[in-house]
Amino acid sequence: MSRDPDATAPLWRAAQLFRLLSCLYALGFQIAINDDLDRPGAAWLLFAVLIAWSIACAIAYLHGFGRRPAWVIAELLVVVALMLSTELVASRSWALDNQTWPTTLWASNATISAALLFGPVGGLPAAVVITAASAFVKGYVSLNFGRNATVIIELALALAVGMAAQTARRAHQDLQRAIRLSAATEERERLSRHVHDGAIQVLALVARRGREIGGAAAELAELAGEQERALRRLVSSAEFAQDTDAADIADLRALLSRRADERVSVSLPATPVLLAPGVVAELDAAVGNALDNVARHAGDGARAFVLCEDLGETVTVTVRDDGVGIAAGRLDEAVRQGRVGVSKAIVGRLAALGGSARLSTEVGEGTEWELSVPRRGECGG
Amino acid sequence: MVVDDHPIWRDAVARDLAESGFTVVATADGVAAARRRAEVVKPEVVVMDMQLADGDGVAATTAVLEVSPSTRVLVLSASDERDDVLQAVKAGATGYLVKSASREELTAAVRATAAGRAVFTPGLAGLVLGEYRRLSRSPESGPATPALTERETEVLRYVAKGLSAKQIAAKLSLSHRTVENHVQATFRKLQVANRVELTRYAIEHGLDQ
Repeated sequence: MSRDPDATAPLWRAAQLFRLLSCLYALGFQIAINDDLDRPGAAWLLFAVLIAWSIACAIAYLHGFGRRPAWVIAELLVVVALMLSTELVASRSWALDNQTWPTTLWASNATISAALLFGPVGGLPAAVVITAASAFVKGYVSLNFGRNATVIIELALALAVGMAAQTARRAHQDLQRAIRLSAATEERERLSRHVHDGAIQVLALVARRGREIGGAAAELAELAGEQERALRRLVSSAEFAQDTDAADIADLRALLSRRADERVSVSLPATPVLLAPGVVAELDAAVGNALDNVARHAGDGARAFVLCEDLGETVTVTVRDDGVGIAAGRLDEAVRQGRVGVSKAIVGRLAALGGSARLSTEVGEGTEWELSVPRRGECGG
Repeated sequence: MVVDDHPIWRDAVARDLAESGFTVVATADGVAAARRRAEVVKPEVVVMDMQLADGDGVAATTAVLEVSPSTRVLVLSASDERDDVLQAVKAGATGYLVKSASREELTAAVRATAAGRAVFTPGLAGLVLGEYRRLSRSPESGPATPALTERETEVLRYVAKGLSAKQIAAKLSLSHRTVENHVQATFRKLQVANRVELTRYAIEHGLDQ
């Protein structure tokens, strides 16, 4: 537990200070009213129990082993028992004229502990129990809140303290998550630097030398080159992922960078291109469609170039290839080849995003898709 | 001069360059060594790796250009370290090549860098384009913020989309040389802005005294 300390610990400490003050107040009350009681001796004995129990509670809560349901409920029961003991030590008329014997202020400690442990949901019932015990001793329920604010104070206390505890726990959880996330990111970065320095460089070198030597070495070069690209992709996508662990926003670069290979060059800005995750996925899928088209129809040796531009209001992704292209009059043939079917899929995806997809092509000039999506003001670039 | 922390790579690059008729005047494995040697040998071209023994290629580029301003820096990086590469360009590098490039591509790039031409990949064009867009959108942008002319934007976009200088020249009815000038201008403006920024920072923080 030392790595994950209780977020409510400071609140528990403050509550024990309140406990000390409430004990002093109860002591003062005890001294002042002792002579009016029927059985002062018994009252002092019970007061000793009160002090002993308060000390036990303070130690248990400060140390931490008391911060669990069994202890808090025990505290509530002891408090109620002491409140009910008013009947033992005082006369009926005294009980009617005064607050219950160990003082309502001291009784509030049980409400505070319950609220700290269970939040407002658990604190409110404790407040109700304390108030009910007080009402039982007096023999009536006072609805005159102007003269008797016990109910209001107890409920308000439970609510306020409970919410403070809840907020502290939530903030702590968020912090813990952030710490874990940043540790994971750091490790990933360290790893990628490591991978970069060693493996990628050696693979690139093998690929280079192997190609020069030729023959069987060229095959090795091919394999090394493939692995080099795969590793480089992994490293750079790890780099992008760090900014985008949030669920409601994604970096388009992370997905697009994975499209890069021997025949596909991907040009990206140095800063994140943030969009809603759904938009990112659809846009990336449309780019995938366009690249499939290139692989299928642009001809052997055609290269593709993906350019991602963040224009603020809109994000534009261009997919160009240097293949054979489509002649203006030969669109019918393109339809037969199935090229237009895929085109419709791309146009459909972009239309669904509220964007546009434009295809331009000329024979011998390859094809170029320009995919644009508007940014709906959810985030800046 | 070849700057790389990986001994096998450093030697391979140096050997390739020597075999292609270049004179490798020095090699270095880090920022400090690069600075020391560049000061003495004043190399024409530095082939610069981004990950060095005692720092990165950005610091090394700055250091080399400080002691030898006429040197031209070509970045040769193992991975697409996007932000790093952009910073190196801002620091004064005029070219960028990935290590998976072939020997022919490397020697051609060194030759182009020596001749004062910018060596661009589509990836680098995308980075530079993105940087100008970011600058124009940033809240501090003002008249001093570097901005691209329409023509320069057009040219950069074509480069990022994989067109060669020759193809771009044909498309825009410009000369090959004019296209290259436009590309260089986009580099230069970022470098100047970077220097202005550094100077202003130095003055504001009293580092100039």
